[in-house]
Amino acid sequence: MTEIQPGGTAIDELAPSTEGMNGSLLSVRDLQTHFFSREGVVKAVDGVSFDIKPGEILGIAGESGCGKSVTSQSILRILPKNGKIVGGEILFQNEDQIIDLATEDADGRVLRDIRGKEIAMIFQEPMSAFSPVHTIGDQIIETIRIHQEVSKEEAHDQAVEMLRRVGMPNPARNIDEYTFNLSGGMRQRAMVALSLSCRPKLLIADEPTTAVDVTIQAQMLELLRDIQADLGMAIIMITHDLGVIAELTDRVMIMYLGKEVEHGTVEDVFHRPQHPYTRGLLASIPKMEPGRVEIEPIEGTVPNPYAMPTGCKFHTRCPDFIAGVCEKHDPPLTEVAKGHEVSCFLYGGRERLK
Amino acid sequence: MLLFILRRLVVMIPVTILISVIGFIIIQAPPGDFVSSYIAGLEAQGDIIEPELIDSLRARYGLGEPIYVQYFKWVSSFVEGDLGYSMIYREPVVDIIAQRLPSSFTISLLSLILVFAIGIPIGILSATKQYSLADYSFTVVGFLGVATPNFLLALVGLWLLFKWTGNVAIGLYSPEMQNAPFGLAKFLDLVGHIWLPALIVGTAGTAELIRTMRANLLDELPKQYVTVARARGVKPTKLLYKYPLRIAINPVISTVGWLLPVLVEGEILVSLVLGLPTIAPVLLDSLMQQDMFLATSIIMILGILTLVGTLLSDILLAIVDPRIRGAV
Repeated sequence: MTEIQPGGTAIDELAPSTEGMNGSLLSVRDLQTHFFSREGVVKAVDGVSFDIKPGEILGIAGESGCGKSVTSQSILRILPKNGKIVGGEILFQNEDQIIDLATEDADGRVLRDIRGKEIAMIFQEPMSAFSPVHTIGDQIIETIRIHQEVSKEEAHDQAVEMLRRVGMPNPARNIDEYTFNLSGGMRQRAMVALSLSCRPKLLIADEPTTAVDVTIQAQMLELLRDIQADLGMAIIMITHDLGVIAELTDRVMIMYLGKEVEHGTVEDVFHRPQHPYTRGLLASIPKMEPGRVEIEPIEGTVPNPYAMPTGCKFHTRCPDFIAGVCEKHDPPLTEVAKGHEVSCFLYGGRERLK
Repeated sequence: MLLFILRRLVVMIPVTILISVIGFIIIQAPPGDFVSSYIAGLEAQGDIIEPELIDSLRARYGLGEPIYVQYFKWVSSFVEGDLGYSMIYREPVVDIIAQRLPSSFTISLLSLILVFAIGIPIGILSATKQYSLADYSFTVVGFLGVATPNFLLALVGLWLLFKWTGNVAIGLYSPEMQNAPFGLAKFLDLVGHIWLPALIVGTAGTAELIRTMRANLLDELPKQYVTVARARGVKPTKLLYKYPLRIAINPVISTVGWLLPVLVEGEILVSLVLGLPTIAPVLLDSLMQQDMFLATSIIMILGILTLVGTLLSDILLAIVDPRIRGAV
């Protein structure tokens, strides 16, 4: 595990922000990422803040289109062409330096050096993570040699070692295979090996369990947990599957339409959900208890991204809607217990309106 | 791989036979034969033909016999290398083809190179800078290139060249070089002449390649392996040529083989306008005058070239794409 410097004075001079990092590895502050198209502007991420400490596992959950993937793409600056970070900071503690990833050149040296080496990413579909015309080894070795000055043979050995570590049955042979020769589970492992080839400090897993069947999903979670215990990296787990969050993560942030609605430990958020949206999400999970077969879906549908509701974005579907408040004002984040924050007028914030 | 090539070679045999049958039938399909159109020509000039001469001509070429007998006669001599006798040129077919095919081949090959050298980079530019001014401009130029008939381009080219340089760009060599022995001077003369036909013959192909390349690359660029490579810290230039370009170019490789006959076809009118000694105008003449030995031979040769070209394409494709290699 990496030694993290506390935000001391020497660092503050280098840092883009006047605040220190408080021992965080990554600190996202008021991130705003918008997409510009002919139809208008989509505020995919609209003021999201979170911190992640070394070795911690953070879950980001929400429905499709809530901005969770865009958040992760913003961190690595691999947004599609029409997506832009229009505000906020993404502070990353790199060795003894704090870098604001949000303001760096997206394909410049600084970001290229961080990508794959300090922060790595796992994507949804293991089949398409690798180029179909290159061997998996080719791509793993390439990554290693981008970031480390090692010979081809040395990189090859490291790649084999990483394939072995993620549980590939025959790493020395698998390294020369193409993805179309591998089974679903093996591809998944190869993809994890590719991401971890330079032992990043932070791994962003963007819906890694969505496109695979349940057995592979279970293997994947187990693998991530093992590797995390082994290498000690921090993980941001992005998913719409609350079961995955419950199983893997320490803390969770729930997002709705580009906003953070609730944030806390898994224990707090799952057992004492505060925000009506979180409560709705949890109620919509099928339960195995006897006598309760009905699931309760959240009323209404996700609003059109080009015509976002004013005020609290959830007010159009909220069972606890406060007329005259929720549709007019943006609810601030309120701490309901230590480390458990909710953005909802039910828990205060109204007194601050005037 | 070796087995794959062997298998493909074996498959080529029945296909070649089929081409010869179809080619022969098509040439034979119009009513009458060379002798009757020859006689019609002579009669139009007021000559009187004796029936004995007609009969001897027919007997000489086996024209009175049933079609399958004619076919087998032709095929067996074709296999032995005797391509027959051209009635319009009054020369053995082999000689005509030997004279014409090399210049056709040179122009086609040069066209092909120009098509790739111009089409691929512009296609890449169009895709990476989609909806930019350059993309729109090349799209317009590309559509014009597809839509403009080659002979018109040839005429315009001829005229422009005459306006600017005072040279008449007819033929492949300057008149004084026409009969000179082949050497450096003649080669340079050829280079000075050949670029115009090569460029014109390749226009439509270039325009099409720009569209294909652009579409293929646009399909590949948003794929996840590109994003993943970017997220691994791969440089932007390498990100383009190592991954998506490599895959986008495969369909292009697979069409190289049948580009050759397309180019030969495109040569017909250009060759007529520019007076080029290629095979295309000969094919046209022979078809119009029912010079069956010449026509069938040219069609056979083009057919075989297409087959060989396709085989080469497939081998190339298997070399660059492991997915194809895995399937063969």
